[in-house]
Amino acid sequence: MRLLVVEDEPLLREQLAQRLRAAGYAVDTAVDGEEGLYFGREYPVDLAVIDLGLPKLPGIDLIQRLRAEDKRFPILILTARGRWQDKVLGLEAGADDYLVKPFEMEELLARVAALLRRAAGFARPVLCFGPISLDTRSQQVQIDGRPLELTAFEYRLLEYLMFHPGEVISKATLTEHLYQEDQDRDSNTIEVFIGRLRKKLDPDNRLQPIETLRGRGYRFALAPPK
Amino acid sequence: MTAPIGEAAGSRREVVSLNRRLLVVAAVVLVAFLGLTGSILDNAFRQSLEQAQQDRLQGTLYTILAAADLTASGLRLPHALPDSRLSTPGSGLYARVIDEHGEIWRSPSLLGLPWEPEQRLAPGDTRFQRELAGDQPLYTLAYGLSWEDAGGKEWTLTVHVAEDLTSYQAQLSAFRRSLWGWLGAASAVLLATQLLVLRWSLLPLRRVAADLRAIEEGRAELLHGRYPAEILGLTQGLNALLSSERRRARRYQETLANLAHSLKTPLAVLRGALDRLPEAPPEALEQIARIDAAVDYQLRRAAAAAPETLAAPLPVKPVLERLLQTLRKAYPDKTLDCELRSSGEPVFYGSEGDLMELLGNLLDNAFKWGRQRLRVSITPLAAGPGGRRGLRLEVEDDGPGIRPEQAQLVLERGRRADEQVPGHGIGLAVVAELVSAFQGTIAVDRGELGGALFRIELPAA
Repeated sequence: MRLLVVEDEPLLREQLAQRLRAAGYAVDTAVDGEEGLYFGREYPVDLAVIDLGLPKLPGIDLIQRLRAEDKRFPILILTARGRWQDKVLGLEAGADDYLVKPFEMEELLARVAALLRRAAGFARPVLCFGPISLDTRSQQVQIDGRPLELTAFEYRLLEYLMFHPGEVISKATLTEHLYQEDQDRDSNTIEVFIGRLRKKLDPDNRLQPIETLRGRGYRFALAPPK
Repeated sequence: MTAPIGEAAGSRREVVSLNRRLLVVAAVVLVAFLGLTGSILDNAFRQSLEQAQQDRLQGTLYTILAAADLTASGLRLPHALPDSRLSTPGSGLYARVIDEHGEIWRSPSLLGLPWEPEQRLAPGDTRFQRELAGDQPLYTLAYGLSWEDAGGKEWTLTVHVAEDLTSYQAQLSAFRRSLWGWLGAASAVLLATQLLVLRWSLLPLRRVAADLRAIEEGRAELLHGRYPAEILGLTQGLNALLSSERRRARRYQETLANLAHSLKTPLAVLRGALDRLPEAPPEALEQIARIDAAVDYQLRRAAAAAPETLAAPLPVKPVLERLLQTLRKAYPDKTLDCELRSSGEPVFYGSEGDLMELLGNLLDNAFKWGRQRLRVSITPLAAGPGGRRGLRLEVEDDGPGIRPEQAQLVLERGRRADEQVPGHGIGLAVVAELVSAFQGTIAVDRGELGGALFRIELPAA
């Protein structure tokens, strides 16, 4: 999942980016509204965290511009003021949720996870595909009720596939949405990660949850939840 | 709707309107002036009529003397008298001549009229007066003279002539009719003109009132009419006051926003830094929470604009709808059945920000604690002297409710923000603060739905 953080305070921006990266997200940061607009336009953003008090282009305007350009990714507002008018204006401008500063990082992570899940069309926090269940709140994956140890990146990879069940997802798409800009963008590493994930999910090669479509990409093949 | 500003002031203490003052004074002056003029003219005309009467009687008297023939046996007049009315009984013109001993001639017209003047005047004297013959008023003229007859005898005669008031009264009433008719018409025209002049002169004041009403109703920002020099100072001053007040309010809100940003962001950084520690010191976290709550509470309290003098009436329902949409977005996993009870088009006299703060915090609380249902009741109350109606807002949910001993604490205004009841943020304290700024009341109760029922009543004005 590729996240955009637009925050003018450098320390807070850095903290947010670090914490989100640690949770396995690919994070781009923008220092003001105009840069935020540029990233929002040009990058395959899955979710944006936007501070309302931004220089150059205020947060509300940035959100309106993004929505006017038909960018549909969920937006979480960070606001210094707890006033209802600000919250209402923010959400009416097109944001999906708000968080009043100062906030706990855990709270932010939970909101981000919930927004991403709902944007993918899942109403409940736990995704169940056959024996595999993924809890977006605790970021835990279980197979037949047995918890599975996954790294943050492996978790995001699986989550991305499960958010698009039955869809063919190219390696390029996975790279775009999961890799940090400065990371090695060799698409072969995706193959390596897919291999590891398969081994953990399906050690006896009986379930085959992730299909490889040669030359096209991957597909999460288990039946979607009823 | 609000009453016009002028009426609002008038209803408290009966002050006569400018219009009425000027009209009453103008009417009194006009009536006094025209009444005086009328009676002077009336008097003058009556005097001239009487003078004319006297002249006429004098003339009649001379014609009688000219026609008369004095002999030793007395005064003789021809059968055909110089004025035929003297010959006709009851004609209204009468004559009688007396000497020292008694009547020597009377006109035939005197037949049946009890008029026998006995007054004798010295030769050359005249006396004109008004007297009664029986019940008939007459103008009479007596004239004394001495006359030597053909035999050389000296007679001392007094000639009395009289005329009734028929012609005098006819002329007088004709004059009075036209005099008072014209004066009445003139005063009507003058009063009507006065009324028009007044309306025209007071038009700018009425325009000020209308402009202020437009500002009150949110249809205008400033008084934008063109005003005459006399009230230009007033309207320009008012406009300057309005715009400086608006600028001040805007600057104030901006300052608060900046202050919030510059206080909260470092707190967020601090909080984030602590989060990164493997074991954050709990007292540090607690202190940050305390600073945060205090800053939040004080900023939101300061941002409460409180009742504005020229606030446009703000319909409550659209604001409520916007808040509900926001809350549904913010609580996507809660599907509360929201019931709205309201009558008419309830309005709030204050800023949108304040109404959102009032309703938003209560609704947020209901969303947080409610299970399936939420009910909002909006009831307009009776209007006050200024025409502004009071407002009752009730928000209730089907959650666990608030225990009576907590109810007071939750709403305690100005309480130290770090002592908030767990589970209830500073939102409810902010609501209590705002309600008190609006001089309203707030109460917590257990509602029909089983959970907490918050009731706010804002007074009429």
